[in-house]
Amino acid sequence: MKALMSVGALVGVIGLLLLVGMIFDVVPSNTVRLVEGYMPMQMLSEMAIFVAGFTGLSYMLSAMGMAIPRFWQGIGFWAFVLLYLKFRVYPPIPFSVRAMYGTVSLVAVFMWMSANEEDWKKFKQPIMNVLDAQTGTNKLLRYAYLVLLPILIGGFSYNAMKPKSEEPIELRTVHPAPPASTKVHGKTYVLQTSQNPYRVNPEGKYDQEYTNANIVEQGMGRLMKPNANPWDEKSQGYLKYVREGGEIFFQNCHFCHGDNLNGRGLHAFAFNPIPANFTDPGTIAQLQETFIFWRVSKGGIGLPNEGFPWASVMPPWEQHLTVDEIWKVILFEYWHTGYYPRTWD
Amino acid sequence: MGLVTRKKLFSIMALCAMVGLLLLPIVMSLPSPAAGEEAPAADAAKKDGDKVEKGRDVYYKTEGIVVGAPAPKTTDGPKDYPRYNFESRVLLWFANQQHLYYGSFVLAVPIFCMVIEFMGVVTKDKALAKRYDQLAYDFIKISLTAYSLTAILGGILIFTFLTLYPAFFGYLSSIFRPVMHIYALMFVAESGTLYIYYYGWDKMKEGFLKWIHLSMSVILNVIGTLLMFLANSWIGFMMSPAGVDEQGRFLGNIWHVLHTALWNPLNVHRILGNMAFGGGVVAAYAAYKFLAAKTDEDRAHYDWMGYIAMALGVAFLIPLPFAGYWLMREVYAYRQQMGITLMGGLLAWLFIIQATMIGILFLSTNYYLWQAMGRMRGAEKYQRYIKYLVFLLACGFLVFITPHTMVMTPAELKAMGGQQHPVLGNYGVMSAKNGGINVIITTTVLSFVWYMRGNKVSTVSWAKFGNIFMGVFFACAYVNIIWLAIYGYYIPANVRVGLSVPQVATTLSCLFFMFALNSVMMKGAKQMGPIEWGKISARSQYALIMLATAFTWMMGLMGYIRSSVRLFWHVNEIMRDNSPWAYTHTVGFAANMISFNVLFFWISILFVFWLGSLTAKKVPVEAKAGVPGSAPQPAGSH
Repeated sequence: MKALMSVGALVGVIGLLLLVGMIFDVVPSNTVRLVEGYMPMQMLSEMAIFVAGFTGLSYMLSAMGMAIPRFWQGIGFWAFVLLYLKFRVYPPIPFSVRAMYGTVSLVAVFMWMSANEEDWKKFKQPIMNVLDAQTGTNKLLRYAYLVLLPILIGGFSYNAMKPKSEEPIELRTVHPAPPASTKVHGKTYVLQTSQNPYRVNPEGKYDQEYTNANIVEQGMGRLMKPNANPWDEKSQGYLKYVREGGEIFFQNCHFCHGDNLNGRGLHAFAFNPIPANFTDPGTIAQLQETFIFWRVSKGGIGLPNEGFPWASVMPPWEQHLTVDEIWKVILFEYWHTGYYPRTWD
Repeated sequence: MGLVTRKKLFSIMALCAMVGLLLLPIVMSLPSPAAGEEAPAADAAKKDGDKVEKGRDVYYKTEGIVVGAPAPKTTDGPKDYPRYNFESRVLLWFANQQHLYYGSFVLAVPIFCMVIEFMGVVTKDKALAKRYDQLAYDFIKISLTAYSLTAILGGILIFTFLTLYPAFFGYLSSIFRPVMHIYALMFVAESGTLYIYYYGWDKMKEGFLKWIHLSMSVILNVIGTLLMFLANSWIGFMMSPAGVDEQGRFLGNIWHVLHTALWNPLNVHRILGNMAFGGGVVAAYAAYKFLAAKTDEDRAHYDWMGYIAMALGVAFLIPLPFAGYWLMREVYAYRQQMGITLMGGLLAWLFIIQATMIGILFLSTNYYLWQAMGRMRGAEKYQRYIKYLVFLLACGFLVFITPHTMVMTPAELKAMGGQQHPVLGNYGVMSAKNGGINVIITTTVLSFVWYMRGNKVSTVSWAKFGNIFMGVFFACAYVNIIWLAIYGYYIPANVRVGLSVPQVATTLSCLFFMFALNSVMMKGAKQMGPIEWGKISARSQYALIMLATAFTWMMGLMGYIRSSVRLFWHVNEIMRDNSPWAYTHTVGFAANMISFNVLFFWISILFVFWLGSLTAKKVPVEAKAGVPGSAPQPAGSH
């Protein structure tokens, strides 16, 4: 047990040192890389490793007669979560999300500290000591708080009320609800039921399963399936259409959406916000093909009222591409990202 | 005829009367739904030799004879939208919400009474049986006062509709005309049954008569549930109309109007929601009484009452997210844009608030259970592991509340390099959220299991093996839930939606198998000490109040979301809202309005509780029944 806890303590110390290094910019945040495709679980796993490390550290310090008081354990852990989110995770997390996470972790720390009466008493003790002010230090602290707390609250209030010159926060609707149908080149398409005419099997019939089996593999590398290379001259049917879609994409779309479809094209950073990242599981992977068809055809100018603040410079591609070309480019986007269009069956 | 025989006879007659009341609306309505309205219309048309006009059902796609008028095309003005010098929609919102709160409460509490009364009847321990019976009676007493208020609020709601939205209400009434009288008769049946059930309590408290009384509670609840189904059919029709053609003309089949695409998911969701809400309100009542109690005896009683109400509420809270998931799935299947408006578009931020409230509910429940272990000797052995449960809950909660569309300044957006955060953006989609909520629920089940075995030591010969098995089972459940959440990113969306089934099955397996196994292991277990009712921390009672407030707030929020998703439609795609208020409120305004409704409800229900306490004070206190240990005695009598 002691050996296990020693390992835990060692992990805890190393983790803390790394984090302190990141806070003071001695160690870059990406020293321990967040690996694409595994980032969400990596973050949670790192947090779990830290918890295990802190358990070991706490155990070892107790064994050495230097136990950390309950109060400081709680405060320390909460500070750790805030600092981890601020300095370890990159790119930086917006404040609104950090505030949510910070509040949840504060509640969690409270639940931990007050789960039983004994712990709760230990946690409260330093606060009660300061309030009772039986010793000189506590009396001094009490006076200090009496002066500092109003100043602190006043400072926050002043800061909150002070006029700011920053751009205002925009609560943007990334995926506004589509209309029931859309008219492109004189034909009406019902979004709930329309299908991509090029998502076909070798017999030429609409076949989602067949086409899904021929897309690239997700994750790092995005490897093509064996015998499913659209750039093979002999490729026919679905793969040929993917190739044609790819050609259209690289002639028209990749300048903004990027040659890896990740929204980081040549012109991307001239726009605010930058173009959609199709490799993110929150974009085309969440949507029906017909939704993409509607968005590509109508562009930013065709965003509905709900799409406030209409921050999109996407051109209405129906003015430049045929219906067939739009369907083919959509086919390519799903093929390249390795995502499946949403269906409702 | 002896006194007992006469009582039995009267009881059976009362039961028959209830059954009669239950059947009355159905019998009355038989000619209408059976023949529909098309029969007379068709006959008349045939007689006149006119051509019968037919229409196509917007949902069922069947043909039917047009028997109703088209949905009115309203215009903004005093004819269609008469108004006071105030936003009519807000007035209606308030009236509707208050009626719903009370309606939910009075439908949920009789179900609790039925369960608790049944527990009292089957419990062999006479003292405990008496306590259960008293508790059920206390519940129904509260419900009775609330029932009158529900009816008054229902009246206010109808008057508000008639005064402010006459064209819209007139249209809905014309569509639901074949079942309007059933709805009214159901109210009569509900009231009659409730009064017989309440006033017959003392007369039917023993033996066979008690079973008759219990049967009455079943009938009462059947009527209440049917009543709610009928009310739900109105909102189901407004969201996903059926039984009418494109112009909104009724096609004669009332079953189609009732049985819309969203009716059944709404029914299931509302039953569970009402129960969880009812449990929360009663638990908060008990918490308030506990905190105000002057004697140990009262504290013990209200501690116990709070625990029972919380346990019942949470029993229905656990399946509630799954019912909600089904409802959303059906919404997506009905109209894609409706689903996207709800969960990915305009109303998505409200869903983040909802996720936060759900998290608060489960966190409060867990916290209460951990506090409750403090009143058991022997539960200390679990205390040191609570921090790991906190970690699991917090991680599940963080994932569950991460928004897909983050609020950020343009500077933050630039720093992030795009709308989606590469790490946290993944938590914003359904696959991760399913994993998050299932981790939270499984952890709640684990807390319950610890609570159930808190002061006990299993004496079965295979106890060690049983404990290891349970530990491995929970570990495998967590691994399976998290693995499926990750796997969901690598498969098509329609398969991913289906993944929720094994995730839910895993969670429910923990619930049923582990509860069952734990019960078997704890049969004849060595008691480390009794449960010291009343010796729970005050913090636990605040957790109960938090639980109830979160329930109330969430109900208000979800009602608003469900209603707002129709956007500028009174009846989706059939009747347009042309009033000046056919826009969606800002998140801030909606939150303030919901908070006001919550506050008003709690103030008014405090009044109801106070009224309930007046009756209790007037009645002399019965001799207390002896209960083993320091268990509480019921306060008051009837």
